Amino acid sequence: MSQKRLYELIYIVSPDATEQAVAELHTQVEAIVARLQGEMVRTENWGRRRLAYRIGKHREGTYVLEVFNGTGELTKELDRRLKVTDSVIRHLLVRVDEDLKVAERDRARRQAEADKRAAKGLPPLGQGRRRSGDDSGDDDDTDQAEA
Amino acid sequence: MAEERGSRSGSGPKGRGNSRGGEKGGPRRSMFRRRKVCKFCTDKIDHIDYKDVKMLQPFIPERAKIIPRRISGVCAMHQRTLQTAIKRARLLALLPYVTD
Repeated sequence: MSQKRLYELIYIVSPDATEQAVAELHTQVEAIVARLQGEMVRTENWGRRRLAYRIGKHREGTYVLEVFNGTGELTKELDRRLKVTDSVIRHLLVRVDEDLKVAERDRARRQAEADKRAAKGLPPLGQGRRRSGDDSGDDDDTDQAEA
Repeated sequence: MAEERGSRSGSGPKGRGNSRGGEKGGPRRSMFRRRKVCKFCTDKIDHIDYKDVKMLQPFIPERAKIIPRRISGVCAMHQRTLQTAIKRARLLALLPYVTD
C-alpha cells in the first residue's frame, strides 16, 4: 500500500560503546530494514566526532549514516527502536527523495538553459550582465566560480 | 470581515512603496552599497545538505545565530532551505545552538 521512499538516517552512538557494539547496531538496523521490505543503499561511518554541544554528559560520539529505501512503517519502527536503544544518544531520520528530485530538476533546467545559450552562440551566463565600472575584488570571485 | 480583507490587500503595494520613502533614512540612499547576491544562486548549489558543515558555517557567525538574509543576501528560497539544513545540523550536534 504505502509507497517506497528514500530516507537518510543518522545516529550518534555514545562514545562509551565499542566498535563492535557500533557494528552490531548497524546490523540491527539492516535487519529491520530487510524485515520490512526495505533496501539499504549506502552506509557511512564517520567515526568519532566532537559534538557541537553536550548531549547528556557526552562531548563526543560516533556518527553513522544509513541511506535506504523503505515505507513509512519502516521509518516508524526504526524511530521507535532507536529511541529505546540506550547507546544511541541522538538520531535523525529524514526523507530525502523529494529534495534530491528538486535538485536534479534545477540542475537539468540550468543545463538546458546553458545549452540553449550555447546554441545561440552567446557566452555563458554571468558575464554579459557585469557592470564595467565594478572592478573590485568581487570580479575575481565570479571568475573563479565560472572556471 | 470583507472590509478588513480589502484593506489588507490594498496595503500590499503601499507597503512596498514605503521602502523608497524613508523619512529618516535620507543619507542612506546616497551611500554606495554593493548589491548582494545569493551565494547558492551564483555558485549553482542546488541542494543544501545538512551534513555539509563547512557550507553552513558561514551562516552562523560567533553567536551561532542564523544570519538574516538582509545581511547575507541569500534569496528567499535558499534561505528557507538553508534554515532547515542548519536546524537539522544543530539537532545532530554538528552545529551549536548557542555559543558564548
